Amino acid sequence: MRNGLKGMVVALGMVALMASGCAKEEVVKKDEPVVQQQTVKAQEPVRQVEPVKQPEPQPEPPKQEQTATAAKASEAVVLEAVYFDFDKSDLRQDARDALSKNAEALLKKVADAKIKIEGHCDERGSDEYNLALGDRRAKSVAKYLITLGVAADRIETISYGKEKPAVDGHDEAAWSKNRRAEFVIIK
Amino acid sequence: MTVLRLLLLACLLLFAVRHDSTASSTYIEVTAAGNRQLRLAVVPPQPMGATIRPALANEAAAVHSFDLTMSGLVAAEVKDAAPLLNGLALTPIDFVPWLSAGYDLLIRGEYELRGEELTMEFRLYDVPAKKMLTSKRFLGREKDLRRFAHSFSDEIMRALTGEKGPFTSKILYVSNKTGSKELFLMDWDGHNPQQLTSNRSITISPDISPDTREIIFTSYKRGNPDLYKRGLTGVVEVPVSTRRGLNITGAWSPDGSKIALALSKDGNTEIYTVARDGSAPNRLTVTHAANVSPAWSPDGSKIAFVSDRLGKPQLFTMDANGGNVQRFGTGGAYTVNPAWSPKGDKLAYAKSVGGFQIFVANADGSNEMQLTFEGNNERPRWSPDGRLIVFSSRRSGPEALYVMRADGSGQTKVSRNGGLSQHPVWVPQNP
Repeated sequence: MRNGLKGMVVALGMVALMASGCAKEEVVKKDEPVVQQQTVKAQEPVRQVEPVKQPEPQPEPPKQEQTATAAKASEAVVLEAVYFDFDKSDLRQDARDALSKNAEALLKKVADAKIKIEGHCDERGSDEYNLALGDRRAKSVAKYLITLGVAADRIETISYGKEKPAVDGHDEAAWSKNRRAEFVIIK
Repeated sequence: MTVLRLLLLACLLLFAVRHDSTASSTYIEVTAAGNRQLRLAVVPPQPMGATIRPALANEAAAVHSFDLTMSGLVAAEVKDAAPLLNGLALTPIDFVPWLSAGYDLLIRGEYELRGEELTMEFRLYDVPAKKMLTSKRFLGREKDLRRFAHSFSDEIMRALTGEKGPFTSKILYVSNKTGSKELFLMDWDGHNPQQLTSNRSITISPDISPDTREIIFTSYKRGNPDLYKRGLTGVVEVPVSTRRGLNITGAWSPDGSKIALALSKDGNTEIYTVARDGSAPNRLTVTHAANVSPAWSPDGSKIAFVSDRLGKPQLFTMDANGGNVQRFGTGGAYTVNPAWSPKGDKLAYAKSVGGFQIFVANADGSNEMQLTFEGNNERPRWSPDGRLIVFSSRRSGPEALYVMRADGSGQTKVSRNGGLSQHPVWVPQNP
């Protein structure tokens, strides 16, 4: 009888845990250690203005960025950035003027250079849509350079959306400088 | 004797099974008079062994209080129950003081700490009915404490509503705390942030496969904005789409077989689907405009997306094969970031009304409701149970992640990273 009673107590204990039907025992596996930050640099703003490249740890090198010749060429030639109106990719008159100069340099001074046109946006639009807008800006500049005689196979385009503003700031003065296309001589 | 014991066990098992079936088919009715909100008292779990760690007990109680308050089901308060303590776990509780203090629900529990080993048990009581509604016991390590507590919050939601809560789920997001934008994973309440990628490049727009095993995202790590795939745990990153131009805003189909994304390889940015390895591209939109941010309806039959074909970017829906394109809602405002509710009956999105604000409307565009009013708010994503929405906001400094109830109430900052936090994706969880 005593044994029976003990058994009952044990069983009751189990029931209390199980009564809900939910009292499962969950044996929780050890987590992998939470990967705490690798290099925690004092957070620099993402917004360094580095129009050219990023350090490239990957084994497969991307399209060759800036080589020694390019560095020389870009010293000799400065291709002017062009600017856009909000949410627009069509070329203003000041942009056309700048592109005429750029085209002249590309045809005469660095006639063998290849360029990458980077399309950028200001911070106001949505970042995903801005990637498409930056793409359109870069392509609209490329198209105009081609009509001015620059060979299409010398031009690449890339969009950074609003990921790489030229200047910080949250007013029209900053925004108008960030809605732009920049030129990088890649070869 | 043995027969009696067996009989008894059989009875108990029957009882347990019956109880289980009722719990899963209908929810336990805990109603308060006059539709007032249920009041929940959370008593920090009591020590069972020699090691007494009030901080640990208080943290567990704080998790329950935060989770369940955010659920909107109850008003939770942490209460020190010292005067009401009855000592042993399984002795009956004196409900009278709780009842007279106006509580409907009560959480109690125990913990035992032996070295690193942690055992916790939580129980939820219906105070007026003087009965236990559910309980759960956990074995693990001290660092598992928050997970145990969240898991019991999920269980409480199941007991009260018939549907598991979202509180053990995680949020995938982008942060630049290391100086460049990388993917991170955190608990839904912002604890335990964990860095996933280390590409020192720009990483954006993650999405996760329906089985939660694989992540897709766009990275500039090889120069071009390409789409990559990697395991949620693991480090190997495989290129999925590296077509010329943009390979952005990837979205996994609900059956896991396809990825919808925006590509600019043909000139303007259009929406395509590709197989999960990136092959077999199928173009869905044919315009001269920009089309981005595809979002699958939960049944996989429709895709909502952003297009500027009428001028400013606005929302459209189409069938999953690209047919039957319809503008979503009316009004010409700049509208982006569509996200279907888990049941597919609603869309959340961000609309520019002098700064971006989060809105929710029925899937047909009717009954639009503005949920945020302060600062810039973008990228809404629903919790797996549809009760909560995570979004990014610049209302108080650098972009951070906030969670609110689906009706806009309870807006709370959850991200704890330095730097900015953006592009949240609420990771689904197993039922």
